[in-house]
Amino acid sequence: MSQHIGRILFRAFVTLLMVTTLNFILFRVIPGDPSALLLSGARISVTPEQIEAQRQSWGLDRPLFPDQVVDYLSATLRGDFGYSFKFRGRHVVDLILERLPATIALVGLAQLIAIVCGVMLGLYAGWRRGGAVDHVATGASLALYSTPSFWVAMILVVIFSTALGWLPGYGAYSPGANSLLDYLRHLALPVTAVALGLIGQYVVVARAAMSDVVSEDYMVTARAKGLTNGQMLMRHAFRNAMLPVVTLITLNLGYVVAGAITVEAVFAWPGVGGLTVEALNARDYPVLQGIFLLLGASIVVANLMADLAYGLLDPRVR
Amino acid sequence: MSESSVPYSTHRRVQAFKGFLRQFLGHGGAQLGFVCLVCFLVLAAVPNILVGPLQTAVNATGDFLVPPSGQHLLGTDEVGRDVLNLVVHGARISLTIALLATVISLIVGATVGMTAGYFGHWADVWLMRLTDFFFVVPSFVLALVITPVVLEVMGRGRDILGFRPSIFVIIVVIGLTSWAFVARIVRSQTLSLKERTFVDRARVAGTSNLSIMLKHILPNLVPQIAANGALVVAGAIYVETSLSFLGLGDPLQPSWGTLLALAQRAGAASAGAWWYLGAPGICVLMVSLSFVLIGNALDDTFNPRRRVIP
Repeated sequence: MSQHIGRILFRAFVTLLMVTTLNFILFRVIPGDPSALLLSGARISVTPEQIEAQRQSWGLDRPLFPDQVVDYLSATLRGDFGYSFKFRGRHVVDLILERLPATIALVGLAQLIAIVCGVMLGLYAGWRRGGAVDHVATGASLALYSTPSFWVAMILVVIFSTALGWLPGYGAYSPGANSLLDYLRHLALPVTAVALGLIGQYVVVARAAMSDVVSEDYMVTARAKGLTNGQMLMRHAFRNAMLPVVTLITLNLGYVVAGAITVEAVFAWPGVGGLTVEALNARDYPVLQGIFLLLGASIVVANLMADLAYGLLDPRVR
Repeated sequence: MSESSVPYSTHRRVQAFKGFLRQFLGHGGAQLGFVCLVCFLVLAAVPNILVGPLQTAVNATGDFLVPPSGQHLLGTDEVGRDVLNLVVHGARISLTIALLATVISLIVGATVGMTAGYFGHWADVWLMRLTDFFFVVPSFVLALVITPVVLEVMGRGRDILGFRPSIFVIIVVIGLTSWAFVARIVRSQTLSLKERTFVDRARVAGTSNLSIMLKHILPNLVPQIAANGALVVAGAIYVETSLSFLGLGDPLQPSWGTLLALAQRAGAASAGAWWYLGAPGICVLMVSLSFVLIGNALDDTFNPRRRVIP
């Protein structure tokens, strides 16, 4: 078991190292050295002292390897991702942390809704394979799975915001209003858009897992023992079918956040996705790379959780 | 040995291929996807004949944001361009990007997977570490940081084969970030193939490793590569659309994703211009669904035990 955990931790470390290395290489591939980029990107907003401090903290006057690599890694480990071009030379970490709560609210709520609706629907469709619910759910989830979430978001805006006028389709707060209800009303459409995409995936996987379990020999045995449908479902089918589903949900985090980035762009949601779009349009590389590192780190953590959860759920792995 | 080997015959090959086609096209989903895909390929092949040259703000033929009518079947955009014209030309860009990116990713994935599986040992360990990285980090997230940098370095140049260099940057970046799934499947298949008798026989006959991989193992991998290739195309369409939507597309050669980005920037959703954002989105949905359906039908035909979707 401890060897198992050691291997998992080593893999996580390698992935993070590669994310950081990619950041290091990308920043040096851009024409001109990073401090020159800082100059040209934001001549007015970044002070010369900041650039000099940046040059020294990155050791740009020293050889690329090993000095610069080591310095870059240690600066990154200290949480120093440099300054933003666009936002008047502010620390990248501060910018991201400020935007993080809005994204966590969006992704967390969407994930919760998708898990409850998608997994239940998928498990039911797999349990009653070939039924009406199965056909409708499978068809709809395939279509949702093939549709970019941001397009679903745009359609939701057209219907529920422009045509019907029920819900706001822009930003996180109405001007003047500052209540929780107002925030939730703004959250409704973005959460629905992200959740719908996820439901598509979860239905497909939960259904496949359940229909695999249903055809297992131990289900026949359970039936022969005289268990009722409900007992079979709860004691045997459900727990076994949840294994691949739990793995998917934890591993999926990277894709969820990626989908949320585009949805946030539709609604001008003030989260990390909105920040990504602003950084992309201004070619604000330090911010982009900070976001990339954050995403990489959260994906690695999600993987760790998936591996550990699998060990807890499936006794064979221990 | 001799009684287990099947002599090569053209007739048998043709029979086998017909059987495969019958089974593949027996899937309702495959038929639907196939027909849909052929329609879009025709659109992509001859857009100029069907709807005339790509309209720009200069030669736009209509008023601003006009709903669908007899003159403009899919309405017009914010500068008066015909949306049908834009969408048909977009098919060419979107499909080219998706298909070429898939070719790159299949080549890289098959090479990495076969090398890792065939040679084993340290090659396997290191190549699979690399694959793990690309498997874990979504292609879209990688492309999001790599594309702007590469565009800055080499995005400005001459057109290649009628496509702008920025389109090729997107193709290469998507291709080089979405091969991990293929590599894993090819590796596991290679692991079992290399233990088979025909590989031993080839090795005894003095065939080189490269030749064994290309002539004996690769042909046996075609089913897995084809079925997963269809899914890789669907993934590539998703990544391309998302990247273009975030502003990394080329406005001079708009793909469907770029059109959606333009619609978003023009405020089409809040103006209620459903035709402007609806048309490109439905195209993306139909093409990507077609590839998913075809991929599933292929997977089911080659490997009926592992079906995911009925």
